[in-house]
Parts: sequence; C-alpha cells; structure tokens
Amino acid sequence: MKERGAILVWRLLILLTLLGSWQWLTGIKAISRTPGFYWIDPFFVSRPSEILKRFVYLASDEVRLTIWQMALSTIQSTLWGFVVGVSSGFAAGLLLGRNDRLARILEPYIIAFNSLPRIALVPLITMIFGFGLLAKIVLAWTIVFFIVFFNTFQGVRSVDADLVHAARFLGASEQQILRTVVVPSALAWTFASLTPSISFALIGVVVGEFLGGESGGGLGYLIIQSLGTLNAADMMVALLSLGAIGVVLALGIKQVEIRLLRWRPEYRNRA
Amino acid sequence: MKTFREEGREVPAVRDVSFEIRDKEFVAIVGPSGCGKSTILNMIGGLVAPTSGRIEIDGRAVTGVPPNVGYVFQKDTVFPWRTVARNIALGLEYRGVTGTEQERRVREGIRLVGLEGFEEAYPATLSGGMRQRVALMRTLVVDPEILLMDEPFGALDTHTKLNLHAELLALWEAKHQTVVFVTHDLSEAITLADRIVVMTRRPGRVKMLYDVALPRPRDVIKLRESEEYAREYGQIWHVLGEEFAGARL
Ligand SMILES: Nc1ncnc2c1ncn2[C@@H]1O[C@H](COP(=O)(O)OP(=O)(O)O)[C@@H](O)[C@H]1O
Ligand SMILES: [Mg+2]
Repeated sequence: MKERGAILVWRLLILLTLLGSWQWLTGIKAISRTPGFYWIDPFFVSRPSEILKRFVYLASDEVRLTIWQMALSTIQSTLWGFVVGVSSGFAAGLLLGRNDRLARILEPYIIAFNSLPRIALVPLITMIFGFGLLAKIVLAWTIVFFIVFFNTFQGVRSVDADLVHAARFLGASEQQILRTVVVPSALAWTFASLTPSISFALIGVVVGEFLGGESGGGLGYLIIQSLGTLNAADMMVALLSLGAIGVVLALGIKQVEIRLLRWRPEYRNRA
Repeated sequence: MKTFREEGREVPAVRDVSFEIRDKEFVAIVGPSGCGKSTILNMIGGLVAPTSGRIEIDGRAVTGVPPNVGYVFQKDTVFPWRTVARNIALGLEYRGVTGTEQERRVREGIRLVGLEGFEEAYPATLSGGMRQRVALMRTLVVDPEILLMDEPFGALDTHTKLNLHAELLALWEAKHQTVVFVTHDLSEAITLADRIVVMTRRPGRVKMLYDVALPRPRDVIKLRESEEYAREYGQIWHVLGEEFAGARL
C-alpha cells in the first residue's frame, strides 16, 4: 500500500516536471528579446497554458464541431471497427482452425492480403464507402480482423488433443466439443489479441479521419485541420485526447479480459 | 499388433497381445514404460486402430470411441476454465441431463470423492490429488460400464495415492464396473486388481496373466502389511523384474 502511494507520487512528480518545463522552456528566449529564437519554439509544440485555453474553447459551443463531438465520433468508429473485427476474426479463426483443407487453400490469399500495408487501402476504402463513419469502421476492421483471426486460428490449432478425447469419452458430439473445448481454449488466445486490437482499431480510425474531411468528423480531422492552419495548440489538444481515449479503451478491455479469464491462475487474484 | 511409423520405419509398439476381460472384472496391465500399455488402452478405447488384429467389446468390433466407456487419462484433462462442479457436470451436460437431476448427481459425485466446499473452485487452485478426484468422478458420474484408466495416480505422492486407491475400490465395490487399469507400479496393481496382465518390455507382449488371490473388500493399508500381499508381490516381481531390469530407462 505504501509502495503504491510512493509510485503514485513519483508519477505525479514526473507529470508536473514535464508540464512545468514545457511551459517554462517555451516561454524563455534563447537570445533575449530576439523574436523567433526560443529554447523550444512554441510555434511547433505550443504550451500547456495555450493548449488548455484551446481545449476550453473547443469544448464550448462557440465552435461548430466541439471536441466532444469529435471524440465521440472517433470512439464510436473505433468501437464499431473493434467489435466487427473481433467477431468476424474470431469466427474466421474458428472456421479455418477446424477446417484444415480450407485453411491450406486460403493460406496464400490471407498472407497476401495481410502483407498489404493497410494505410495503402485508405483511398480505395474512401472511394467505395465515402467520407463518413463507414469508411473509418471498414478500415479499422481490415486491421483488427487479421490480428484476431491469426490469434484465434493459432488458439484453435493448439487445443489440447487430450481434452478433446476426454470430451469425446464423456459423450460429446462434434458441436459440443466445439462449444465446450475448442472455443474456451481458443478464447485465451483471442483475448491476448484484444488489447493490441483496440489500439490498432484506433490507428485505423484516425488514419481514416485524416482523409475523411469534416463529414467524417473525429479527432483525426482536427489534426489535419490544425496542420492546415499551422495550429500546434489544437493539434496537441487532439493528440492528448487521443492518448486519453486509447488508455481508457485499453483499460476497459483489460477489465473484460480479467473477468472472463478468471480461471487462469495469473488472473485469479485480480478478479 | 500395433506398429507406429517412426522416421519412415514401422516400429512395433505391441505385438501378439491377446487376452479377454470378463464382465465386472478389475484388470491391471503392468509393464515397463514404453511397452505399449497406453497403446493397448487407446485401442480398447477406439482412439487408435490396431495395425492388425481386432478389439471386441461384447462381441462387437471397436471402431471409434464406444459408448458406455469412460477413460481417465494419464495426463490431467480436467477443463481449467470450468469449476469443479461444472467439470463433473460435463458428461451429464453432453447427454442432455439438466436441471435438478444434473444438480443432484453432481452433488452426489462431489460428496463421493470428498470435494465438498470446492464446488466453485477452478482446477488451477486444486492439488494434483484433488484434480484426479475430479477427473475420476467426472467419468463415473455418467455410469460407464467399462472404465479405462491410464496411470491415473502416477503423478501423486504415496499417501495421496493410497487414499485414492481406497476411494476407487469403494466406488468400484458399489457399481462393479469392468475396469482396465494401466500402471507401472506393481503394488498398485496388486492392491486393486482381480487379474494382472504382465507385459514384456518394448515391443510389448503378454508375458503372464496372473490371478490375484486376495479377498475383497480390501483394506489398502492393512493389505500391504499382510503375508498374502507379500507372497503375490514376490511371485509377480519374480517375472516382471526381469523386464524392468532389461528395460532401458
Ligand atoms: N503416436 C505414436 N507415434 C509413434 N510412436 C508411438 C506413438 N505412441 C506410442 N508410440 C511408441 O509406442 C511404444 C508404446 O508406447 P505407450 O503405449 O505409450 O507405452 P506405455 O504406456 O507402456 O509407456 C513406445 O515405444 C512409444 O514410443
Ligand atoms: Mg503410458
């Protein structure tokens, strides 16, 4: 308990030092009174006080698209991409994991598609699905799908044959074996892929928003807009918000994982 | 006869193994490790097919996992994601026994192996002995007529092992399943079985069929101190010892 308190204090200290020096170093000039020569130029990295001011402004209803609306749009697309990607990836992993022949047939196509840098798909996806929410979701999906698919596939492949035999001797049908042996043991593998999946879903969505324009909304749009107006403060607002969203989503996933995998010794004491 | 293909060569695992098991009989198979005991059990259980020859149960050839056969594996096969109670319920669940009937039989099973209070525990929190109790009861709760056991207590310490012998015998006295019990531990075989199949070292053949002349019901502790036990042990060891001595471990 004392240890945890100490760690918290240290974390706070580091945060305050970072913010303090950021604020201070962007405020003093390298050569006094010479314009343009800062130790660290606030033009590029802005300043905490400036960022806070912009945040309050962007959060107010003086703007057409508030930071809340943008964050909501980003979170929504991320969660949708995540949910669709995880469920389809899981289903495909189960299917191919149980069907050797199909897996062998499809292998080169899967590897080829997965090797394609997903960012290269952004223009095509935008062309097909337009500038709205849908394009962002599809982009996140193409990334998440493969992460979850490969993990689940591996999980199904490494199901302990002895557990399957045990189930068979207890009278299980093929379908019951799938439900009571294969799915639970594969789930442990699938879960290992969820935390990276949510992060990659967020990446997919933000990249989608770079191109999506205002109708797609989202924090990625704010970043691109700030680039257009060379507004470092707005950009920092967007980046910090994205960071916060990423952390919250990852923590949420972790909680679900801990609950569902509580049978594993490494999770037992944390449930 | 069963051969396995190993690096392109056919390697015989067991050869010329032939014996009959009577209904309600407790048979133990002993032999040095690698002599094909598990292979024989897997053939009876329909997990592997004999390369030549056949296995029959009640006059019907075994092809695939037969119904009414329970198998307690050498390896721990308790499902780690299910609690003790949910593990014991598995066979009932598969057979569509649900609700209060399922509950009643699970509770009864848990009582029989002394796991009261651990119903909601996950296997990772249990000792090896408790996990084997779960595995045993999970198999017995669906009342198999034939019970195959592959060194089920092999990984347990002597004390736990003796306790489980006593429990197994008590359970068997109540139902008299036909049991085929594989072990490399001669004292375990004598304690439990009516008849012992002694195997040679690899490739395994039947060296001797031995009737254990010990009265039932048996007390696993008193039995070990008795003269009859010592005599049976001496006679079988005389034969089996050669095989163990010659086996490359
Ligand atoms: N799936 C397999 N493939 C190849 N060889 C096997 C296989 N299973 C068993 N064997 C071989 O057959 C022999 C008998 O094995 P096993 O039945 O497990 O012996 P035991 O249970 O008596 O220790 C061993 O020499 C083993 O190496
Ligand atoms: Mg074996």
